[in-house]
Amino acid sequence: MHDQLHAPLPKPVPGLFWNPYLQIFLTVLLTAAAQILLKVGAEHSAGNDSVWSWLGLAELGTGMTWLGILAFVASFGGWLYALRFLPLGLAFALTNGVHIFVPLGSWLFLGEHISLLRGSGICVIIAGILLLAQSVAKAEERV
Amino acid sequence: MSVTAWVLVVISQLALVAGQIYLKRAMSRREQPGEASRGWIGLLVIGIATMTVWFLLWLGVMHQVELSKLMPLEGISPLLIVLGAALFLRERLNARGWAGVILTCVGVLLVSAS
Repeated sequence: MHDQLHAPLPKPVPGLFWNPYLQIFLTVLLTAAAQILLKVGAEHSAGNDSVWSWLGLAELGTGMTWLGILAFVASFGGWLYALRFLPLGLAFALTNGVHIFVPLGSWLFLGEHISLLRGSGICVIIAGILLLAQSVAKAEERV
Repeated sequence: MSVTAWVLVVISQLALVAGQIYLKRAMSRREQPGEASRGWIGLLVIGIATMTVWFLLWLGVMHQVELSKLMPLEGISPLLIVLGAALFLRERLNARGWAGVILTCVGVLLVSAS
């Protein structure tokens, strides 16, 4: 079971689009879009208190939810690609960028307010992602 | 939050961590040469099935509970993933990497507290 764990990570195909970090960025953008679409879809079906609503099946009736699912599926492709080349822990931590784009998107498209606290949270996430980027640069320097 | 909602949240977070570990295992095995790559599709299917469980549970919880109450719980998932990856995939992060993970989690908590 551990055979594959110690092999060095492979090198991606050359070209900007195939850069695994760009793919993570695209995954983050698509996931943020998906979250907002699912939120809109969930609001459309609010008030349906059947047993199925606990499993999220009531939401499947709205178009926004299906668009959200489509965005999730698309983001999944980029995510699987990135996982071929990056360690899981690092890649997943970078997807925290979603929490920058969800408030921004909610502000742009849903008219939600970004408070000072929320704004500072976004700045702390950006700082964290920059530190992660530095840690990658350091690790690659050593190789 | 009701007890049912808490139980669903815990199961969904466990499903998320397990699903991601299976996906990573699948994609790592796919890169192995020849015979060694066999079985990666099976691992991928397990990963996708587990992520589907996570997705449906999360959608259901989102329907019942305010998003602002769920976000802090989602904020700890990167930490859970890093711990899971260290335990089951033997991944190691350097000090800067850990600091980055913790800072992003703190940021997510701040965003969700607002």
